[in-house]
Amino acid sequence: MPEITILKRPREEAVITQRMFFKKTARGKVIKVLRERYLRDDISCGVNGCRACDATAQTVLSRSGDTTHKGFPTGHYILPDTNVFLAQMDLIESNYFTPPIIILQTVMEEVRHRSLPLYSRLKALTTTDERKVWVFYNEFRSETAIVREDDETPNDRNDRGIRKAAEWYNAHLTLAHPPIRGQPNVALPKVVLITDDFANRQKADKEKIPCISVRNYVDGMKNSDQLLDLLSATGSDEVEPTRAVAGRTALYADYLPMSTLVAGVKAGQLHQGHFNANQYNYLEGNVPVPAFTKAVLLAGRENMNRAVQGDVVVVEVFNEREWKAPTDEVIDQEATLKNDDAEDSEEEGDDLMVHEHESKALRAEHTKKAPAEKQPTGRVVGIIKRNWRAYVCHIDSTSLTSSNATSLGLQTVFATPVSRLLPRIRLRTRQAPSLVGNKILVTIDRWEITSRYPEGHFVRTLGKAESKEAEQESLLLEFEVPYRPFGKAILDCLPPEGEQWVVPPKSAANPEWRDRTDLRDLIICSIDPPGCQDIDDALHARRLTNGNIEAGVHIADVSHFVHPETAMDNEAAARGSTVYLVDKRIDMLPALLGTNLCSLRPHVERLAFSVIWEMTVDAEIVNVGFTKSVIASKAAFEYGEAQLRKDDPKLNDNLTQSIRLLNSLAQKLKAKRMAAGALNLASPEVKIHLDSSESSDPVDVEQKALHETNSLVEEFMLLANTSVAKKTQESFPQTSVLRRHLPPPPTNFEKLQDILQKRKGLKLDVSSSAALADSLDKCLDPKEPAFNTLVRIMATRCMLSAEYFNSGSVSRDTFGHYGLASPIYTHFTSPIRRFADILVHRQLAAAIGYTPLHPSLHSKMHVERIMEVVNRRHRMAQMAGRASVEFYVGLALKGRNEREKEVTEDAFVIRTFRNGLGVFVSKLGLEGLVMFKRDTQFDAENYTISVPSSGIGRPDVTISVFDKVTVRIEVEKDKNTQRGRVKMTLVSPVDSRAL
Amino acid sequence: MASISKAEKAFIQSSLLSDPPLRADSRGLIDFRTIALESGVAPIANGSARVSIGRNAQDGGGGTEVVAAAKLEVESVGDGEGADGGRVACSVSCSPTAYPLLSPNALDDLQHDMTSALNATLSHPTIRPTNLGIIPGKKSWLLNLDIIVFSDAGNIFDAIFMAARAALWDTKVPITKSVQYRAKKGETQAMDVDTDETALVGSALDTRQAIQVADFELPDYWDEGEPLDGRQAWPVCLTLNLLPTLHFLDATLQEEASVPLKLLVFYSFPSDATPLLRGMRLLGTGVSDLTQVKSLLKDGEKYARNVWVALEGKLKDEDFRRNQKARERFLNR
Repeated sequence: MPEITILKRPREEAVITQRMFFKKTARGKVIKVLRERYLRDDISCGVNGCRACDATAQTVLSRSGDTTHKGFPTGHYILPDTNVFLAQMDLIESNYFTPPIIILQTVMEEVRHRSLPLYSRLKALTTTDERKVWVFYNEFRSETAIVREDDETPNDRNDRGIRKAAEWYNAHLTLAHPPIRGQPNVALPKVVLITDDFANRQKADKEKIPCISVRNYVDGMKNSDQLLDLLSATGSDEVEPTRAVAGRTALYADYLPMSTLVAGVKAGQLHQGHFNANQYNYLEGNVPVPAFTKAVLLAGRENMNRAVQGDVVVVEVFNEREWKAPTDEVIDQEATLKNDDAEDSEEEGDDLMVHEHESKALRAEHTKKAPAEKQPTGRVVGIIKRNWRAYVCHIDSTSLTSSNATSLGLQTVFATPVSRLLPRIRLRTRQAPSLVGNKILVTIDRWEITSRYPEGHFVRTLGKAESKEAEQESLLLEFEVPYRPFGKAILDCLPPEGEQWVVPPKSAANPEWRDRTDLRDLIICSIDPPGCQDIDDALHARRLTNGNIEAGVHIADVSHFVHPETAMDNEAAARGSTVYLVDKRIDMLPALLGTNLCSLRPHVERLAFSVIWEMTVDAEIVNVGFTKSVIASKAAFEYGEAQLRKDDPKLNDNLTQSIRLLNSLAQKLKAKRMAAGALNLASPEVKIHLDSSESSDPVDVEQKALHETNSLVEEFMLLANTSVAKKTQESFPQTSVLRRHLPPPPTNFEKLQDILQKRKGLKLDVSSSAALADSLDKCLDPKEPAFNTLVRIMATRCMLSAEYFNSGSVSRDTFGHYGLASPIYTHFTSPIRRFADILVHRQLAAAIGYTPLHPSLHSKMHVERIMEVVNRRHRMAQMAGRASVEFYVGLALKGRNEREKEVTEDAFVIRTFRNGLGVFVSKLGLEGLVMFKRDTQFDAENYTISVPSSGIGRPDVTISVFDKVTVRIEVEKDKNTQRGRVKMTLVSPVDSRAL
Repeated sequence: MASISKAEKAFIQSSLLSDPPLRADSRGLIDFRTIALESGVAPIANGSARVSIGRNAQDGGGGTEVVAAAKLEVESVGDGEGADGGRVACSVSCSPTAYPLLSPNALDDLQHDMTSALNATLSHPTIRPTNLGIIPGKKSWLLNLDIIVFSDAGNIFDAIFMAARAALWDTKVPITKSVQYRAKKGETQAMDVDTDETALVGSALDTRQAIQVADFELPDYWDEGEPLDGRQAWPVCLTLNLLPTLHFLDATLQEEASVPLKLLVFYSFPSDATPLLRGMRLLGTGVSDLTQVKSLLKDGEKYARNVWVALEGKLKDEDFRRNQKARERFLNR
């Protein structure tokens, strides 16, 4: 009989045995929460072979501690205070930072309370194998547990707890190392409290607990050179107490406290939204908020009030008569603030000068604008959430005070982020000279009200600027693309047969064949762009005996390999989408699946998910069916190849006939779609020719050729997506994954309509997608065939982007896809490279009764959360792809410049500024700016600009939007930032180099 | 509620009327049985207490036993339920084992009687603590005072009120901070934003500036909070059992059954003012006249003051025991 004893805890001890706190719920109720606390004596200190502790614990701290620190020759462990983790996480995470760390429970809890992201980084740190980190549950060990005193703030209580634990540890170590008779007393290692809280250090000194500030600690480490740069700026203020902080004038207003912001937003007096910087004018930004149709304009540094691109901010909107219109001038940060010195930009005189510069730049006609163009104007009063991450930057070489390559002195320099949307970052580093010319990663630590620039610290070097590796990595970092190789846990989810996996022979016993249709005999082929390795769709068509046509779309059955709630599923959900760069593909799923097992290669059997329609010859759908299947593709074509085959009158085999049949159906489908009001949109797409796969030097850029077969595949994919969307929405009205494209608000088109009206006398009817499609068709300039494409590109930019959504989260009448003029739509056809498609596959499989639906896909919240991630990743992937093309276009242009002496191209003017032109070079898909140094006559009403012509006495030349001009394109390396950038100058109608 | 025979009743009455008066437990007429009080018995409540009268010293059995617990709840003002500035709602429920002879209906009636006596006194606006408001006009605390009668061995009303007073004394209101955003209407776009403590009552008449307090927060969620404002004011109850020509206190069940009339007086004794009679009630079938009641009130005040002083001393002891002493014991483990 086991003896059961009940440890009865008398109520008198409630102070010790219970921890009470209040909690305010989201609905505004206050709840009293009580937690029982059992103090124990068997919580291990974590030191290897400690005699005083339980020997069975898995200890990680070495017996002698770390002996490499100058200040603690007898060995030491560090015990950091909460503020160390809050401010210096990069330092702690660095591989050079090796001392054994003791993390207290009190500290963990405080970090969690203050910042969840930092808490998860801390958690990750405690689980890595290579680091010596011990978590000590001090609140549960009877010697170190403390009770809050009367009139003690929570902060003081925690600090006391931390000191108590440090004190206990030092006493405990003497027990762990008892003196051995006959041997001299060995010097004991120490447990050192590290904190940047001065008061806490003072108290610890009084209690004889070894303690030290972070900076002093790092100074004494053996690799302090690398580590000192990682110190975030917050830690540095004590080092220079001489700097008269109080003497500095505040440049910005203080933020309101968080609770006030929330209250203001709730009351509708303040507005919350994401801050978007203006890429043309660093002194302007806007915040789209639900309360206004137009975004709230923030003009000037003071009103932007330290907001950084992507931050969630709260703005206050001014009185309506103070509303302004956005500027029409290009204001370049580098040019305006050229002379700003990083070291002492705080100084008064400089300040005035900069101020004058900026206010002059800002004055630009804010007041003279037509009232119609005014938009809500306001200022940032607080930040809900910073979205700071590591930014790719260059060191501004002119901001260096000493360029001596061997100088290790601490310097304050400017780092210019690659993205134009970000402000310059001031950072202090010892390695400044060696960083010049490199791409580096910099994080922002803080932005004081007295400092014009945010302060940050150096994280790591990516490599030489303009080297492909560095550029590629910086691109991925800039767009937050997860590009780490797949971990073991993920690869373990793959079938164990690996490359040798095949579809097992057909028999009832094989689970693969359960409920699968055998379509191996069908004449199926795939048509894809050249060089495509991840073939996720294949097609077939054949005539039926009743005169109708059977057409099928077969999609790789990825959900057969990727099961819900596995490591692979989670990783794919986090990646969201495969990212295509010019010379690299970052896969969403491991390559084994993407390019082999799921890729519908020709002549091998593959698992597929098929959508099969019965259609009349006029492409009216009679019947549609969905089934899991096994197929064997008969051929894999490229677009061009398929086109040739279709057009070759000599060929008349089954495959060719099938393609012709598909093509005829596709044409009819397209005609129907167009009649329904689908838009034919255009975005500049170019193709980079690479010399060879090894060198990957771009040779040339050309526009993508479009074949009829492109449209063939597209039509059938659209049809499949629409059919699937209908089916899953019917089956799971609350949680089906759909895709929609909201109609753009007519205000988005106002400017384009105005330009077209004034410049070309053309009208754009935006009342519906069909009307827009019609009026776009009429936007023709007989002299300029490319004009129509240009208008389409500009119209596309006025629209909203399509998004994934959960059908149960929005009202039924907003399901529509504006661009495709389809009432319902989803993504089903590319499960290898898009995660949303995998979800749709699972839902469709459940809808046809193949598998039950995983519970997570019944949860509205879960689906919504995934949709949010997928939408963001999708956007980022597109932007990364575009940026990669841009980089290669730049490289190609550089090459051409070297060969051809001067590169000139035709371009269209798409925007006019007070001091420049925005032009679009359609041949290169490149957008650029032509800047004029001299003043020009600017007519904002008519979107024209008058430029003095080169010859003296001749009249000014007028240039307006939609004019065709010739530009000279050069790639020049920005002297300060090493950032290669495309520079355009006007050749005709007037040479702008003189201007 | 004991049912006793006429003979027993006559015996008890004649004993009480004899000179010197005799009571079954040999007490004097104005002596109380022993009263035990403990506060903080329900840790999840915001304040609580247990009171027992006449518990058997040897085995802890018998006696009248009552537990009171106060629980605070956030209420929205203006949607029909909450009152601006907070409110107190009392309820008494009796365990069926306390009154085994009563039918469920009779028990309900009894509970209702007790609740109404409590509510009429403690929920009265004049006695409402001033710190039950959270955001003027928007949010306030609702103080639910729940009392459970576990057993009744006589003098239940005194016990209920003592437990109520102890629980309310013990009640701590979490400190809230109202958060407001105020944009001045006028030429300047300057904005005046501040947060301050809940004491915004004074500005309620000031209509020139529209105060828009939208929400509140808990500045220190580890803290129990501050005691109810004016916790001195909660009254005690004293039951005078009236037998023609004399009165006595703290009647047992049998004695209660033998008297025709009981007078309940609710007194509070503010330290800086004259004693306050918060209410009175006559229970029973007997009759009384005004002059008699007048003299009884005078006596009642005297007895009630004794109860008040004893209770006050014990409550302070309890505070000390539960905080300082416990902490010292923790340190000296």
